[in-house]
Amino acid sequence: MMTGIAFAAASAATAAETAVGSLTSVTFGEIELFGLSNFTIGLIGAIICIFISFYALMREKDDLHRLLLTDLIEVIALIAIALLGTDLAEALILPGLVVGVAELTAMSEIYIVKEKLVREPESYLDIEIMHTAPAIIAVGMLIYGIILSGFTGGAVAGLGMLFYFACKGTEEKTGILEKISGYAWVMWVVAFIVFMTLPAYWFFALMLAGTGILAKVAIKISILGTMRKNDGNGGRREIGGDGND
Amino acid sequence: MTDTVCAEMCVPPTDMLYGSPYEFLETGIEGRALFNLPFGDIVNFLTPYTAVLFIFALTFTIIALISKPERQVDTVFGGDAYYTKDIPKDTLKFQRFMAIACGLATMGGIMAGDVFNFTLFTAFIGITNLGIVAAVKNKHILDNAFEYGLLAMVGTLPLFVGAALVLATTGTLSMWVLFNSAAAVPLFAKLLLVIGVIAEGMAPVFVAKAEITRAPGAPYILMVHVSSLLIFLRVIEIVISM
Repeated sequence: MMTGIAFAAASAATAAETAVGSLTSVTFGEIELFGLSNFTIGLIGAIICIFISFYALMREKDDLHRLLLTDLIEVIALIAIALLGTDLAEALILPGLVVGVAELTAMSEIYIVKEKLVREPESYLDIEIMHTAPAIIAVGMLIYGIILSGFTGGAVAGLGMLFYFACKGTEEKTGILEKISGYAWVMWVVAFIVFMTLPAYWFFALMLAGTGILAKVAIKISILGTMRKNDGNGGRREIGGDGND
Repeated sequence: MTDTVCAEMCVPPTDMLYGSPYEFLETGIEGRALFNLPFGDIVNFLTPYTAVLFIFALTFTIIALISKPERQVDTVFGGDAYYTKDIPKDTLKFQRFMAIACGLATMGGIMAGDVFNFTLFTAFIGITNLGIVAAVKNKHILDNAFEYGLLAMVGTLPLFVGAALVLATTGTLSMWVLFNSAAAVPLFAKLLLVIGVIAEGMAPVFVAKAEITRAPGAPYILMVHVSSLLIFLRVIEIVISM
């Protein structure tokens, strides 16, 4: 939408370069409309969006819909930051997004517990590949992930471990996996403190951070596999059967 | 998280602002800073005013760390019998963890030398308060936690937009630059910051509404009150000094 206005303004005229709004200490390009900078126009748009979303939140009575509408409001906050259009704004969006996602996750969990929406599945998927393939695929992906290292490697290794745990059923391992993940996170934080306080040892810190993020991401993903809560019989439950036989 | 955009318009040279151990920040309340903690160009500081708040937060964090949960005793009406209620170990551990995290977030918010860091710590306090309240598995309490959570999520909008406007108008987020009279922060941005902090610090209202000040939550509920009180006091310092 903003770019449309911007193009229209560019073709119209480049009048009144000096006339800028009050909120234009940082320059955001040359295009102006009615003497307003891009930032001011964007801010007006964001404020209109804020009014619409708050009005919707005020009118809405259903809890789930209100939760979704608050997410909409979070997005507008990110838009307002993004309007700055600098490198710093880019650096601010990520923590803002993380805060929003964390709150949304916590709220969804509260909503599920509050409305008692937890339901155990009655049957699990059970196909031949889940009995034969897990070990070889998990080992392959784990080795490839360690070679890649860092965030990407963690994701690859984690997927392998997720597949293994989902097929082999090891719900009692969740606790120890979470513990290792916590230590990996500590390694990562220690690496960042080394970066800031002892920059001379950057290579050590880089290796520490790379290993830490690999372990953390891999383990966080593999926890999803242990959450399937089956008993190790390839997904077949002992009590109640799987509903297919 | 200061940036380089403002290099021309920030009046004092940056060498004087960061890093030098002899140049301390002048704030609107209680004057000169006592202590600097530089992390790159993010320089945290304590003034006599915030040092008092910091000690207060530290004390209550230690109390949350060492104290045992309160156990409710119900007397049977019309007799001399009574029964006690146990707090499950899981709830205890989770609430204690959240209370300590809340204390750390409060201390971070008090020490923050950067407006965006301050808003992030405030949002963090909101999440941990939500965790403390929602640890009790009770429909009534969870309803209140949900209402508070919605408010805290909505509150991040004025918080972040306020910080973004501060950045847009002055070109920096560092309190070291903003606290100089040369940088003019618009009243609207200050107002948004205060509204955001009010929304995040609204937890004690919901604690009172859910009536968990005593039995199911004590003493960890204390941390909810302490954190919101301290973050209000801190935002007042920031807004007056800017």
